[in-house]
Amino acid sequence: MSDTISIILIYTFILGSLYLLESLGFSLICGVLRVFHLGYGIAFVVTVYVTWMFMQKRGFGLGWAILAMCAFQCLFTLLVVYYPIVRRYLEKEEILLTALLLVAMIGEETANYFYPVTAGVDLPTGILPGITKIGKASVPNQMLVAAGIALLTTAAFVLFFLKTRVGLLMRAVSQDIKSAKLMGTNTERIYALAMVLSVIPPTICMLTIAPVYSIEPTLGWSLLQTAILVSILGGLGNLKGSIIAAYILGFVAALVSFAINPRLVNVASLMMVSLVLIFRPQGIGRSESLW
Amino acid sequence: MVKIEHKRARFVFRLGDLKLEWTIEPRYWRNHFIAIALLILLILGLSGKPDLLSLITTANIYACIAIPLAWQMTGTGRMNFGPQLFVGIGGFTAALASIYWGWNPWQSLFLTILVSLLFALLLSRLTVIAKGLYFSLITLLLPLIFLEFTNIFNRVFRGETGLSGIAHIIDVGDIGRNYLLGCLMSLGLMLVFLYVVDKVLRSRWGVYAAAINDNENVANMLGLNINRYKIVTFTMTSVMIGIAGWFAAHYFGTFAGVTYLPLQFMLKVLLVVMIGGRGEIYGCVVGAYFVALLEHFLTRIGPIHYILFPFILLLLLLALPEGLYGLYRRHRYKEYYPTLKVRKREI
Amino acid sequence: MLLKIENVTKGFGAVKAVDGVSFDIHEGEIVGLIGPNGAGKTTLTNLISGLYKADGGRIDFLGTNIVGLPQFKICHLGISRTYQIPQPFPDLTAIANVVVGVLCGKHRINLSFGDALLEASHCLETVGLFGKRNVLAKDLTLFELRTLELARALATTPKLMIIDEVMAGLNPGQSLRAVRLIRRLKEEYRLTILWIEHVMKVITEASDRIEVLNYGKKIAEGPPKTVMNDPIVIGAYLGKKYARSRKA
Repeated sequence: MSDTISIILIYTFILGSLYLLESLGFSLICGVLRVFHLGYGIAFVVTVYVTWMFMQKRGFGLGWAILAMCAFQCLFTLLVVYYPIVRRYLEKEEILLTALLLVAMIGEETANYFYPVTAGVDLPTGILPGITKIGKASVPNQMLVAAGIALLTTAAFVLFFLKTRVGLLMRAVSQDIKSAKLMGTNTERIYALAMVLSVIPPTICMLTIAPVYSIEPTLGWSLLQTAILVSILGGLGNLKGSIIAAYILGFVAALVSFAINPRLVNVASLMMVSLVLIFRPQGIGRSESLW
Repeated sequence: MVKIEHKRARFVFRLGDLKLEWTIEPRYWRNHFIAIALLILLILGLSGKPDLLSLITTANIYACIAIPLAWQMTGTGRMNFGPQLFVGIGGFTAALASIYWGWNPWQSLFLTILVSLLFALLLSRLTVIAKGLYFSLITLLLPLIFLEFTNIFNRVFRGETGLSGIAHIIDVGDIGRNYLLGCLMSLGLMLVFLYVVDKVLRSRWGVYAAAINDNENVANMLGLNINRYKIVTFTMTSVMIGIAGWFAAHYFGTFAGVTYLPLQFMLKVLLVVMIGGRGEIYGCVVGAYFVALLEHFLTRIGPIHYILFPFILLLLLLALPEGLYGLYRRHRYKEYYPTLKVRKREI
Repeated sequence: MLLKIENVTKGFGAVKAVDGVSFDIHEGEIVGLIGPNGAGKTTLTNLISGLYKADGGRIDFLGTNIVGLPQFKICHLGISRTYQIPQPFPDLTAIANVVVGVLCGKHRINLSFGDALLEASHCLETVGLFGKRNVLAKDLTLFELRTLELARALATTPKLMIIDEVMAGLNPGQSLRAVRLIRRLKEEYRLTILWIEHVMKVITEASDRIEVLNYGKKIAEGPPKTVMNDPIVIGAYLGKKYARSRKA
């Protein structure tokens, strides 16, 4: 009994941290731009497949491939997602959401065309191989590393928002855009910066969990689903709420996997969030602003 | 019970306190008759080619899903990102009834309507309590929950491969004739949906739908019972979408959750509504035929069509502000052109 | 006694927007409601029309307590309002805007859609918008929007009409036309009017009685001349120093 509890607690921590890393960028866009970026999965897909492409086609080493991929990611986000679609249709949300979904689908199909599941895409970004035994649970070391990196990234983002000038501007824009504009903030640049910052957590997430995650072109959708659930539960765009929500969802996932039935994990998370939405639509967070 | 008066071309129906008028104006029917005649001729002309007949039926089924969806999105004032939930409910009910109990299509239609009605009534509360974006998000997640359930109860729903061996919608013995008659039936179903929704949207309930879409609180203040209207709209349109699912199950003979429930199908239906003509029901028909034909002809090109299909749809979505039907409508007087809203900005 | 407001309170968080307001409105009156900005006038209107639910107190309309009733039921009882910032249905034509009011305003028998359109045309003609009946509401000018609001409120055949700052943004010519229109509507349709206004000249001329709110509390009531010279009212608008200097 206590073994199950300890396993559940350990995996709550790990899964919660991973969920947090996955949904950090999504909450950021939700909070600052007030846009539901349904094409968020594309960031994960681009990370994996562009790195692989640089390694295979151009023969780059892993480090150079990652750098090239980061550059590609930023350019892609700005030139394909932000300027043509998000900026033009910020007010017309029905077109915006549909277009973002379509972009994600095009990206996934492109990845599938060039590197289908059978092509054996695999990123050698393992940092610590092997397994650790904590009590009765055996946890892959890579996942512990990923959880640690998730916490570091979140801490970095929180410090950025609290301590830097640009972070302050972002919080202001997220709370009341009209007042921010009146104070002289260049909201266009803040939006662009927010979009670029939002792809950093998915990149880091994908690079760290690539060795222990099943790589296929459709991986974007389940990660998007997790990000949506964490965001909704935590309050759309509320970073504090998202942190708490990620660990709550991690707990639910761990509990259902180890104590009930592993196949019911998805259903349990979905149903829990739906119920929360019905009774408390704002989620856990106090406000709809970033911090 | 219903008193009918007749004065020249106008019929007046009185039922209790309700008075409904129907003016018969044949001079406006010309375009509609031409279009229907052309479609029937097209189907009869393709009678030897079952794959093209299936294409036309697919287009009709997309239209059957999109027409009630367009009504629902204006009538409830919220965008429904998960219409395929009721397609799944309708289709699975029909498939299960047909396979496990051996019912014929008309009996399963009755059951489909009942089950869709039940689920729609359960979910209709959402239109009242969930505001704009949250409604869209919940409806986005609901079909995924349903898909998970079908995966868990794998033995009943047969997971990936789906249920097969569903009785065909009409059986005259000859398979070619079956497909032809089925295609004509799909056209009939689409025309029935189109007529019903058009009549509703041109009457007082259409004005109520427009009022709710534009500003709910003001409509409430003017005396319209918005909660009752939203619940009724949601229920009726969901039942209609369920019937479309029933037809799809019986025509194609198979029904798999992975075809109809994930996001790819949702995007197709949503794009039918948006590319055809943002929320206009005649535009839905145009959009449905366009999407179905595009999908079919792109498949000839090879595996690259998986990329080209969403890409072309994206270009059209961004380029045509009023949809395909808007190109035709732009030259004519606009009575009501709805704006679909996800989230309303309160003043 | 048409409307009786007893000790109504409404707070939003820590702010008490309406704090223990009581007054009556009798049939056939024009009652003015004035007060500085933020006094709680629009909140009181929202409370009467049912958008918000009062935290405490009673609002009696023709004997029925309307606190907590849904908005459409309150409209069916006979209360109608216009909005400070006009809120038409932007994608509908002017006549369609009014048709919603005709069809929903009360439980009507034997009213077909065509009959409703006829009645809506009549309402539009009364306010002078018949020529613009097929123009989309988002294309109308401010004055036309204000008259459309009046027509729409009128279409629901109210007994009490709450008019919320109809003069804001109008030039003197348009203001005069608006006042004449409201007077004519009151006579023809036998309305009772609760008129919220900032333009003092208009409200002192048109109303029979004035209520004054400040910071959510009622500070004065009475005939226009008395209220206008009341030092408390002057103090609320112009400051206590000025009120004292006037008294002296």
